Amino acid sequence: MVATAFSLLAPMETEEAQIARGLRRRDPDLLDALIAQYQHRLLRYLLHLTGNRAVAEDLFQETWLRVLEKGHLYDGRNRFVTWLMSIAHNVAIDHLRKRSLSSLDEMKDPEDGTPFEPPASGPSPFDLAAAQQQQEKFHEALAQVAPIFREVLVLRFQEQMKLEEIAQLIRIPVSTVKTRIYRGVQALRPALKGGLQ
Amino acid sequence: MTNREHERAIDLITRSGVEDVSAPDAVWLESHLARCAECADYADGCASTGQLLRAVAVTASPALVAATQSRLRARAVELDEQRSRSILIAVSFCIGTLSSTMSAWLWWRFGGWVAQKLALPASIVEPGVFVAWMLPAVIVAVAILASSHPVIDRTVTMAWLGEDQEGARQ
Repeated sequence: MVATAFSLLAPMETEEAQIARGLRRRDPDLLDALIAQYQHRLLRYLLHLTGNRAVAEDLFQETWLRVLEKGHLYDGRNRFVTWLMSIAHNVAIDHLRKRSLSSLDEMKDPEDGTPFEPPASGPSPFDLAAAQQQQEKFHEALAQVAPIFREVLVLRFQEQMKLEEIAQLIRIPVSTVKTRIYRGVQALRPALKGGLQ
Repeated sequence: MTNREHERAIDLITRSGVEDVSAPDAVWLESHLARCAECADYADGCASTGQLLRAVAVTASPALVAATQSRLRARAVELDEQRSRSILIAVSFCIGTLSSTMSAWLWWRFGGWVAQKLALPASIVEPGVFVAWMLPAVIVAVAILASSHPVIDRTVTMAWLGEDQEGARQ
């Protein structure tokens, strides 16, 4: 679907340039294709950031509306996913300000102790149960990590973004990104050691 | 081992997996990790964090995707309509400005013609006719501004422009 949407555009352009051109025209087919392509990554990022599925889904829609409205600002020089995540980051911050919360942690659903679903694969029921337990421990520990560290961990290890991209997205120096990743990993160490052994 | 070596190792560990690490750097890192328990521990932590984070199965529901796509299409139509109205307003403004300028010039000339016909000083009649032409508009503007009740309802204007107050703030 994405490939079809892109192939309708000029073939010599880079994918980012095609997206930038489509966003300036508010091309509905391109937007549908982008939503389909980035749906899981965006929701996962927002879910990790907020810890609340309902809030994350609201912010998911809000992010795409902002992409539509601010699409002309994307110049196609950077990866689209970096720009998309920076929009999501700003939407989450705006949401936080509107609700006058003192930290991202306050957005967690109090009734939802385990915000993330465990992986649905495993070679045996025992392995599955062990993996599930390990995942639960890990995510409990991750939820305890300060949001500023959690965000960079998710962007670096889950979304596989470069340090420079993360720095650009959050608007902080690369050295700060490295420090936050280091401190985030250190904060998770007890859970990682306990969970993986 | 120096702090510089640890910093280099941490930088390479943090970058590896996503960014390209050159072969000499990879060899150096391997030898450093063999000698430094602290950096090896960090490398292990990064690997485990990545492994566990990537194993998370978070998916957007088809209903959410469909709702988002439909909301976006509706908003795109709204924005297009809003843009068309803005263009209309801009064109109207330009036409209004042009016609006002032209008629002001014509009234000024008319004042000159009257002064010539009546043998009166043009320096008095020309501005006099011009002010007489402007006066009704000035009186209406002052009355609107001085009125305690708003003559123009902003919400009606905003609704006509296709913007609710929430949208206007954004």
